[in-house]
Amino acid sequence: MSFSYLLRRVITSVPTVFFVVFVVFIAIHLVPGDVVDMMLGTQNYLTQEQINQLYRQYGLDKPLIVQFGVWLKNLFTLDFGTSLRTGKKVIDLIFDRFPVTLELSILSMVFASAIGIPLGIVAAIKKDSFVDGLVRVVGLIGLSSPSFWVGAILIVIFSGTFKGFNIFGFVHIHEDFLRNLQVMFLPALTLGLMLAAQIMRMARSSMLDVLQQEYIRTAKAKGVSYSKLIGKHALKNALIPIVTLSGIQLGYLLAGTIVIENMFALPGLGRLLLQAVNERDYPVIQFVVMFIAMLIVILNILVDFIYTLIDPRVELK
Amino acid sequence: MKKFLVVLLAMLSVVVLFAQKSGGRLVIAMETEPVGLDPHLVTAFASHRVLENIYDGLMRYGENMKLVPNIAEEAQAVDPYTIVFKIREGVRFHDGTPLTVEDVLFSFQRILNPDTKSPAAAYYQDVESIKAIGDNKIEFKLKKPMASALLPNFAGVNSSIVSKKSLESGKNLQLETNGTGPFYLAEYVQGNYMILKKNPYYFVKDQPYLDEIKIVFMPEEVSRVAALRNGDVDIAKINEPLNLKQFPEGRFKVYRSPVLSYYLIGINTTRKPLNDPKVRNALNYAINREAIIKVVAFSEGVVTGPLNPAVQPWALQPKDFEEYKYNPAKAKELLTQAGYPNGFEFEIVTSQRYNFDKVAEVIQAQLAEIGVKVKINLVEWGIFIKRWRESDFDAFISMNSGSIEPDIQFYRTFRTGGSTNVFLYSNPRVDELLELGRSTVDVMKRKEVYDELQRILVKESPIIFLYSANQIFVSNTSIEGFKLLPNESLVFLRETYKK
Repeated sequence: MSFSYLLRRVITSVPTVFFVVFVVFIAIHLVPGDVVDMMLGTQNYLTQEQINQLYRQYGLDKPLIVQFGVWLKNLFTLDFGTSLRTGKKVIDLIFDRFPVTLELSILSMVFASAIGIPLGIVAAIKKDSFVDGLVRVVGLIGLSSPSFWVGAILIVIFSGTFKGFNIFGFVHIHEDFLRNLQVMFLPALTLGLMLAAQIMRMARSSMLDVLQQEYIRTAKAKGVSYSKLIGKHALKNALIPIVTLSGIQLGYLLAGTIVIENMFALPGLGRLLLQAVNERDYPVIQFVVMFIAMLIVILNILVDFIYTLIDPRVELK
Repeated sequence: MKKFLVVLLAMLSVVVLFAQKSGGRLVIAMETEPVGLDPHLVTAFASHRVLENIYDGLMRYGENMKLVPNIAEEAQAVDPYTIVFKIREGVRFHDGTPLTVEDVLFSFQRILNPDTKSPAAAYYQDVESIKAIGDNKIEFKLKKPMASALLPNFAGVNSSIVSKKSLESGKNLQLETNGTGPFYLAEYVQGNYMILKKNPYYFVKDQPYLDEIKIVFMPEEVSRVAALRNGDVDIAKINEPLNLKQFPEGRFKVYRSPVLSYYLIGINTTRKPLNDPKVRNALNYAINREAIIKVVAFSEGVVTGPLNPAVQPWALQPKDFEEYKYNPAKAKELLTQAGYPNGFEFEIVTSQRYNFDKVAEVIQAQLAEIGVKVKINLVEWGIFIKRWRESDFDAFISMNSGSIEPDIQFYRTFRTGGSTNVFLYSNPRVDELLELGRSTVDVMKRKEVYDELQRILVKESPIIFLYSANQIFVSNTSIEGFKLLPNESLVFLRETYKK
């Protein structure tokens, strides 16, 4: 990947991120109920003059487009905003929360790949056998089971069976490595199982495609050993669509997995965003959304780069 | 020798008893997380629960919601227009600085300053002046003779005493705390947990018993149940009574108490046909409150009138109201009289929280029996609040926090133009009674006023009062001294300890 290619990709991504942020900005302001409504709740303790003062204080009295302009201007001066409800700096909130989501996403992908790819390959090699049928049925169950249900079942099983296993009580990895892994195990497994089903199906169909290619037949005819045939010749080519899928899935994961973070009480980005939306905490919503949009753009560039490693014919320029 | 042994034994048992109560670390799982930490600004229920253990007010609620002096050593209603508080000596803020009358004055000036935008300012709008008398007393002069009606407000978190010095040194109370309460905030990791530690300066001797409380935020009930069963937490709030089956007796303790907050149907009294009190009253007869409690709250709740039946001496009991006896025939009769023999259709706006949606479904089924068709409109909470504030509804289902003081419960909600009178209800007699109740000193006369008011409110039903659900906590058996209060406060954490 050349530097000029990278630069071009980054520059062309700017409008995408801008568009996403703009749409979210407009949408969240158009939803009925604003931050002042949420603050007052059903108590209504302020006079109209005080309420107007709050709108002025938060800059919400100006037209939407002006508010967006102000936000952009602040962004360029590295003022990322302050939460209207908790008074915390938004950038600090991101620094606190993102590592949790990042770790959860990576661990989930590890689980998903470790389960999904081998099973998919086995199913493809043993096509139409009992094993293939079993893998396909399990995959279908995995695809159709909602994560909140799988999570709840895992919680119940683990809390009853493994006494002393820490399901809750998140600590950062640098604070207590073992406890962190224990607490992350179930949420990562829950997400991983769901993703594994998708990866497995993709791996199976992609492998089947590759196995029917002529170069595989040639390799077989040349007497390449079976393990080498699958492991080296077929797998590498079968991996391309799997990498694409994993990249997209990782993007979703990094956006925060609201349900799982809530269920396992993990202080991640998804929970932060959910709370911010519930409270209409505009500066938090805007910056988190921009952050996520940027992450997904970066991830896409990374996935393209990985293609070049897997398949030397792919060239990025 | 025998005498000596007895004395020794007595001393030992005191030591053992004391030792048992002292120390320990409690982990409590809560559903929601505080939104902001400034005691004068917070409105979130979760903020109140934490801050009431960090800050003190002049008064506080003791057992059975009895008002007891707190930062004030004594509270005296000298006459119906004057309250004098004697400030306790030897109280220190968490940073070690002593609390003075200056801090108390400063706190109320801050609350009353319109720029602060404190919810508590509305409670004190009839306060004419606040001044210090000498260096340990403070006097509130009122515009109306409402001294006793005002007193419970001093126990609220929004009326906490804050440190003048802290604020003047530029501290942001939304982010940092400095109270006088039994615990200080040692650590707060947003989205994860809070650690409260024992305040060594706390003015009540030997309290708090616990060294540390860790509050972990677990939004999902399934997680709280599992964490408690697994031993990750010591005590947790349980919302679904069905989950109690997972806590076998002997291994767990269940705490339940009725609460003051109540479920209600709020009605826009200006929209046809619900603008007719007869029609609203018909709905009263057609609703089977016991059935709602059974189906939605699994019998963990009590029917409530305009005041919670436990609020004595003021509350009339639900059985005293003819309208509360389930009587669909009477409801039909009233509807016929009002000109709707075949019923009518209206919309209930509600949100998917605290089982509002389930209550709405049961009511929909019950009203269908008298030919009234209910369309349920489930909206997100922010949208709900917007529509609530703008009275943009035929009717809604929600929950109101209740009070032990009838003036607090009724004044803003039912007075013509009252700030929470989103029902647009207006009745000159009700307005008159509200003013009378606020300023009547004689208890018997005041009771008569509120009796009449409650009867009118049920007959005219701008609000259809439904029920109060029990609050439920479950702990492991090592927890002692934990008590619940009907206002859902957790002030008794200061008296809680681990065996």
